[in-house]
Amino acid sequence: MSKRKVALVAALTAVVATASLVVTAVGSAKQHDVFKAAWIYVGPHNDGGWSQAHDQGRLAVVKALGSKVETTYKENVPEGPQVSQVIDSLVKDGNKIIFATSFGYQDAMVAAAKKYPDVYFEMATGYKTSKNMAVYYGAGEDSIFLSGMAAGAATKSGVVGYVVPFAIPEVIRHTNAFALGVQATHPGATVKIVWTNSWFSPATEKKAAQSLKAAGADVIGQNVDSPAAGQYAESVSLPWVGYDSDAQKFAPKQWLTAAVYDWGVYYIPRVKAAMAGTWKTGSYYGSMADGFTKIAPFGSLVASGTKSAITTKAAGIKAGTFKVFAGPLYDQSGKLRVAKGKALSLGDLMAIDWLVKGVEGSAKG
Amino acid sequence: MIRVERRLEQPRWLSLAVPIGSLIVAFVVMTGVLLVTGHDPATTFRRLFDSAFLGSAELNATFVSATPLLFTGLCAAVAFRMQLFNIGGEGQLYVGAIFAAAAALLVSGVPGVVAIPLMIAAGALGGALFALIPAVLRAFLKTNEIIVSLMLNYVAALVLNYLIFDSLSYWRDTSSPEAKVFPQGKPLPDAASWPLSHIGGLELPFGLLLGIVIAGVVWVLYSRTRFGFEVQVIGDSPRAATYAGMRTRRKILAVMALSGAIAGIGGASQDGDVRHLLDARGLSAAGYGYAGIVVAALARYNPFAVVLVAFLLGGIQNAGYTLQGADFPSGLVGVMQGLILFCALGGELLIRHRIRFERRRPAESVA
Repeated sequence: MSKRKVALVAALTAVVATASLVVTAVGSAKQHDVFKAAWIYVGPHNDGGWSQAHDQGRLAVVKALGSKVETTYKENVPEGPQVSQVIDSLVKDGNKIIFATSFGYQDAMVAAAKKYPDVYFEMATGYKTSKNMAVYYGAGEDSIFLSGMAAGAATKSGVVGYVVPFAIPEVIRHTNAFALGVQATHPGATVKIVWTNSWFSPATEKKAAQSLKAAGADVIGQNVDSPAAGQYAESVSLPWVGYDSDAQKFAPKQWLTAAVYDWGVYYIPRVKAAMAGTWKTGSYYGSMADGFTKIAPFGSLVASGTKSAITTKAAGIKAGTFKVFAGPLYDQSGKLRVAKGKALSLGDLMAIDWLVKGVEGSAKG
Repeated sequence: MIRVERRLEQPRWLSLAVPIGSLIVAFVVMTGVLLVTGHDPATTFRRLFDSAFLGSAELNATFVSATPLLFTGLCAAVAFRMQLFNIGGEGQLYVGAIFAAAAALLVSGVPGVVAIPLMIAAGALGGALFALIPAVLRAFLKTNEIIVSLMLNYVAALVLNYLIFDSLSYWRDTSSPEAKVFPQGKPLPDAASWPLSHIGGLELPFGLLLGIVIAGVVWVLYSRTRFGFEVQVIGDSPRAATYAGMRTRRKILAVMALSGAIAGIGGASQDGDVRHLLDARGLSAAGYGYAGIVVAALARYNPFAVVLVAFLLGGIQNAGYTLQGADFPSGLVGVMQGLILFCALGGELLIRHRIRFERRRPAESVA
């Protein structure tokens, strides 16, 4: 071997030796005697929307329970074979309650609940329960109706754009609530929808907003996770209604409001119950009266008359005197679906597959 | 003065030392990054390694992640060998998955020994047909296969979404309560579930074994046959190949079809090994086709190296999920994965080139 090779080999050996020394010198991770809780997000924890709202809920748990609980999360977890493995690693790390926050995780959660009977599983927007698996969500449609009122008051052309993820009952329900809200403040207005076929896809959401503007919409609303449509709306001076989180900072001038979720309202008692051993399975559907669904602070574009109209309706929803899906309700073809004096039940709403009159777009995606 | 010059010969020890050296460099740089961001490098590396390659549950998860990368890696390697840049592995995988799911649904009721080979054949056929679009355009109209195959990925993704979300297609489940809440593919019959081979506590997906066999076949084809020799010559010098009377057009069609067929079998493996239905949302979120290009590049288009790299990358991908958490942002995981790839690709330079350090000397006087 030449001198250079000898030097190279020596250097490599030295590096390897040091690296392995460092690795062996540090022992295993410290053991804590605290209760561990974990969350799984489909997007980044700071996505400005859905996942961020859940992460705020996680932080609320930390704030309420302090050092008695240790929380963690896994972000950007795709709805595919990786989920099972992510759950496995969370259980292995000692987490005793796991909150999965995207619908596509449900089957993996069901399987994990069977595999780990002493861990509590919580499935947001899911519907399959078992002894150690609960489901939870809330009446987003109520607060979405209120945010639609702000959009209806803001439109001049009478055309509001709405960016929507998947053609599933949850989203159809939300779209209908939004359209009914728009029509409450702007009778006869239409809501144009564009499907993105993804929960979180900033580039597609922006494109959808662009095409809605091209189609004549002068206000943009959304049921998707990122604030990309809002950033676009800000850049072309169109008022924007967000979703999931208070995202005013992404569109400071054009922000109207948003329907938001306060997940902490559910997370804190559930983690407490799990710690105390009193946890029971169930199916939670949060409401505005619980403080679970809310309306975000209004932007400067919202007129005071609109604000008071929204506040009045909000009070009606909380008191149970006003129902968003009360008849008469017509579908897109003009057919009467809910007669006057009747309202859609929760069961009907969970399976809804038709869009209300005034929505332009297909309920099939 | 530092000079980079091409090596005239490549010593054998280099092809082992350079990859190992690159990994060490990556780990050293990462140690720096971790220290700066306030993480303990030793625990981080230990967790990375533990959660990818130690323990049977971890290895099983790594096998699942590695399987699609193996197929798309081979898909890219096969084509890139001939300087034919098939970027369409992603779309070819979707089409393979669509064909294989259709085959499994059509023959429901037959035993697995019939259903599984049919799925493989259907997946290969779908992938190959879809790859032939850019191939024919390239061979006969001299279009750029990079752009055509890339754009066709979007077409395939839209078709996939259309079948499950926008239509009541043959693939879509319209009866189960699950499907009423969220559109999904029809569950494939049980016979269409690909078997798992158990070795000790390890579970090897059938698709992984199939991929390894295909890697072997590709190796024989490319290093032991006239076909492979001609592919190499066309790749190195198309003009020399034409001069020697090789039929370039036919090779373009054959190589692209082979490349697409392998990606298509990858799609069939996703149906049979993992998802057991046509999973439009899951497949389009995964991005296996694009990751396969990285696999092929790291493996220097060598089919056996593709197996190894797919396994390593699959492991790193898995470990990434274990590593990230409230105190460890997923962005940092991405930085670590990127550093390993960057160093590994950078190390390539040292295999083909050498760096000479020269001191400036006064011009030698002739005595």
